This record gives sequence, C-alpha cells and structure tokens, in this order.
Amino acid sequence: MTATEVGRPQAAAPARRPVRSKLARRRRRAGILLSLPAVAVVVALLGVPIGQAVYYSMTNWNGITATWIGPSTYSTALTDPIFWRVIQNNGLLLLAIPFAIGIPLVIAALLNEHVRGWRFFRSVYFLPTAVSWVVIGMVALQFFALNGSLNHFLGDVGLGSVKTNALAGQGTALLALAITFIWSMLGTNTIIFLTGMATLDPTVTEAARVDGLTRWQIFFRVTLPLLRRFIQFSFVITVISAFSALFSLIFVMTGGGPGLGTTTLEFFIYQSGFAQSQFGTGALYGIILFVIMIVVGLVQLRLIRSEDGEGW
Amino acid sequence: MAAAARTEAAPGGGTGIGGTGGRRLRKRLANGWIFLIMVIIAVVMLFPFWYMLDNSFRNQAQFDQQGGHSLAGWTQLFNELPVGSELLNSTIVCAAAILIILAVSTTAGFAFAKLRYRGSGMVFLLVVAALMVPLQSIIIPEYVNLAKFGLINSYFGAVLVYAALGTPFATFLMATYYRGISDELIEAAVMDGLGYERTFLSIALPLSLPAIATVTVLQFIQIWDDLLVGLLFLPPGQRTITVGLAALSAGRTTSIPVLMAGSFISAVPAIVVYLIFQRHLIKGLTLGMGK
Repeated sequence: MTATEVGRPQAAAPARRPVRSKLARRRRRAGILLSLPAVAVVVALLGVPIGQAVYYSMTNWNGITATWIGPSTYSTALTDPIFWRVIQNNGLLLLAIPFAIGIPLVIAALLNEHVRGWRFFRSVYFLPTAVSWVVIGMVALQFFALNGSLNHFLGDVGLGSVKTNALAGQGTALLALAITFIWSMLGTNTIIFLTGMATLDPTVTEAARVDGLTRWQIFFRVTLPLLRRFIQFSFVITVISAFSALFSLIFVMTGGGPGLGTTTLEFFIYQSGFAQSQFGTGALYGIILFVIMIVVGLVQLRLIRSEDGEGW
Repeated sequence: MAAAARTEAAPGGGTGIGGTGGRRLRKRLANGWIFLIMVIIAVVMLFPFWYMLDNSFRNQAQFDQQGGHSLAGWTQLFNELPVGSELLNSTIVCAAAILIILAVSTTAGFAFAKLRYRGSGMVFLLVVAALMVPLQSIIIPEYVNLAKFGLINSYFGAVLVYAALGTPFATFLMATYYRGISDELIEAAVMDGLGYERTFLSIALPLSLPAIATVTVLQFIQIWDDLLVGLLFLPPGQRTITVGLAALSAGRTTSIPVLMAGSFISAVPAIVVYLIFQRHLIKGLTLGMGK
C-alpha cells in the first residue's frame, strides 16, 4: 500500500480517503494489467529458454530425446582442447578492443573541434551502424582476398612483396576479422564519445588552456578522466559486440575457418547445435557465453542505473 | 598535426599585434590538418559503399580485371535472388515485430513509470535484466520450442523471437521517457474520469511519440540487418533480404558482382531510414546506451 503512494500529490483531505483507495486499487490493477504482456513475452521467449538451456546443458540431447548426464558435462566440456582453442579466439579478439575504443576517442576529439563540415563527417562515420554485418562481411571478403583491394593497394605503394591471402591463414584470418570489427565499431563509439564531450563544461578546458596546457595535455589530463563513464560504457558494448554480434560476419567472411581459426564461442554454439546436431553441447556453450555476458552485463546494469532518469 | 597543435597552444601569444595574428594563422593551420584527417577517415568509411556500387556494374570477367562496366551484376541478381519478394518479407517481418514491441513496451513502460504496484520495481528489473541474455545462449531451446508449436514454417516464429529480443530495451526506454511526464498530468486525467487505461491511450501515448520513433528506428535497423534468427526460423520462401543474401554467398558459386549488387540493394532501406531518422538513432544509442 505504501509503495503505491510514492510520488503522489500530497495533502489529501481525510474525507477523500475512500475515493483515493478505490483509485489506488484500480491503479494497481491497471499497472499489473499493462505490464503483463511485456513480462509474458520476456518470460516465455527469453526466460524459459535460458532455463531449458541450463537443464539441457547437462544432458545428451539431439533435439528430440534427452538423456540426463548431470553436471559432469561441464567438466567434460571444460577439458576439451577444442573448447579452449575457441576461447583463445575470443581472447585474441579482445586485443581489438583498445583500437575499437582508442581510435574513436581521437576521431571524436577531432570532430569536437567543430571545424567546417563536422556534422557531415559525423553522419558519414556513423553510417556503418545502419549496415548489416552480412553486407560488411561481403565487402570485407573481397577487400582481404588474394586479388582484393588490400593487395592491390599494397602493390601500388610498392609493398607487393607482402601480398597475402589473409583469409587462408588462421592467424591472418582472425586479424582480418578483427580489423573489420574495429572498422564497424568506429561510428558507434565515436558517437558515444562525442555525446560525452558535448556534456563537458567548456570553461574547464578553457581554464586548462589558459594555464598553458597543450591540446594533447588537455585531451589526456582533462577530457579523458571526465569521459570515464562513457569510456566504460563503450568498453562494455564493444566487448558484448565482439562476443555476441559477430555471428553474421564470421558466417559470411570465413565460416569459422580456416580450421578453427575464426570460430569464436558464439559461432561454435551454432555449429555444435545446427551443424553437428549436438544440441546439449550447444546449450552448454550457450550457458558459458551467458555467464561471460552476465559478468560484463553487471557493469552495464550499474551504468544504466546511474544513468536512470537523466537524458531526455 | 602534433607539431602544429603544440605550437598553436604555446603560451605567450600576447606579444603585440604580430603575435595574435600568428596565433590565428596557426589555429587555422591546425584546423586545416584536422579537416584533412577527417576527409581521409571519411574515405575509409565510405570506401565499401563505393566498392559495392562500382563492382555491381560488372560481370565476373570485368571484376577479375577490375576494368570495364556492364549491367551484368544487376540483371543476374534478379535471376538468382527473388529480390522483390525478399524485400517484402523483410518489411513484413520488421513491421510485425516492431508492432508487438511497441504494444508491449509502451504499456509496460507506462505501468513501470506511473502505475507502480508492490513489486513492480523487481518486475521491471527482471525485464531489463533480460537484456543480458545473448541470442546464442537461448537459440537452441528456442528453436526446438518453436518447432514443436509449428511456428518455424511461417513468419510467426522469427517475428516472436525478434519481438522478445527487442522488448527489454524498448521497455527500459519507454519507462525512462514516461518518468519524465508529470504525475499531476496523469492524475488530473484520471480524476476527470478517463480511467488509467484511457489516460494511457489518449494522454501518455501521444506524448511519447519521440520515444516511439526512437524504438522503431533502432529495431528496424536491428531486425532488417539480422541474419541468425532469420536463417533458423524462416522457411526459404519467407526469407528476408539479408538472409537471402547470406545464403546466396554461402553457396560460393555466385559471381562477385551479383553479391555486390545484392549487398547494395539490401543495405539501401536501412541506410535511408538512418539518414532520415539519424537523430532518433543517436538518441536511443546514447540514452539507453546499448546497440
């Protein structure tokens, strides 16, 4: 009852109590009724499957019949060298994160100088956000191909000797994937930092300028610390993207290969389940991915809650 | 760049008229450098789009030599991919999923913001926490469940999955927006005898059009560009353009110009929506801070 009173206008005369409590009841009923559809959708289509995934991860499951094995499936999976080969790819992808954040920070700082045409450049840089990973992967495939644009360019600048078939080697294929990932995160992260810089008080940097700090000193000592919250946020979404948004890119560019060269955990889940019909194993890897995401997501939740009620 | 910036910001500019003039010149020089760097970045960002367009107007031989142009890529594309019907499928799936997302997220957002009941805070947290569930973690049980109900032979399965994936963030966004509307306004409408449901429909909903636009644009781009859900939950005849394109490329027999033409045409609708509603997209990204 007290909870429903929160945020109501005060000073209700005692005589109006009956009306109020009737209204409060109707309000409570309306609240439950209106929130029900969203709760139903989330529980039925996200909550229940995650519970099923936990259960089936401990079974041998082909989609029709499941035989219970127990938690030992996890120790079996965690000692599988293939699993660690896949996790290694995820780990290597993390090496792209500093670039996926650092480059946009510099771009945002340049845009924030508001030189002629900066709004146009902002729109151009953000454009890849609207384009699917499938399309990006399709062009990247041609870019890194043996007769592709990259090798043409290398030849043109006299580096023809380093011409490589990037997608044919395990290490270089993952590097190509990482470069494509960095390219497509540039716009998103630039916009986040630019928004952050717009919130800064210009008198602070002006004061630093008067104190004789150079542009770069201001950037590193004044702007960066003030942007901490935005950098944390961009770190979280960049990690989430690297671990759970690259399926289409891998599907189009490399198909996970050569060998296991570009198979990350999310792609491995798809392969276990739908290419090898090991639904139980796929569910298990799904749970492991979920646990990783929870760790990252708890950071995000904290950020969202500190953001609550601001903004519009 | 670094050198120009350093001299520009160097102290001691107050040595008379000549000094300030030099300072302004250096400032202009620095801006020139910045402009040049921004142009170079713009070329890097736009290159793929130019590449797609340029190479779509070729046949495979012209592509291999990187010389000459023809309509081959485009004419073949329409033979190999049912472009029209797949664009229509994309539109249908997007529209249906977005309608469900809007229906459940506006009502729930309003309830969580203005009609709080005991435990509603926890329920809200539960819905938003579902943001953390990666699609890959639930995809296998989801697939088996929907197959059991016979929902993967039509649009329905994919629409439901897209709706579920979009709901947590949309609900969060709507709740945040409704919290900004004054309680007095809602109370006054209720006191006037509108009732809570009618107050929502005729007062709150029209006020939240900007947030609705943001949700629509974000979800449109997300669903239009998705591959995994469409690949698994849509039968071949109902494939969206993005899925159709990926399937075409997976064959590895299609000529590159055809794939470039397909890539270009599949990207155009999302780009157009982006160019028109850019402001809303940026707002959604930075407000809820999630892609």
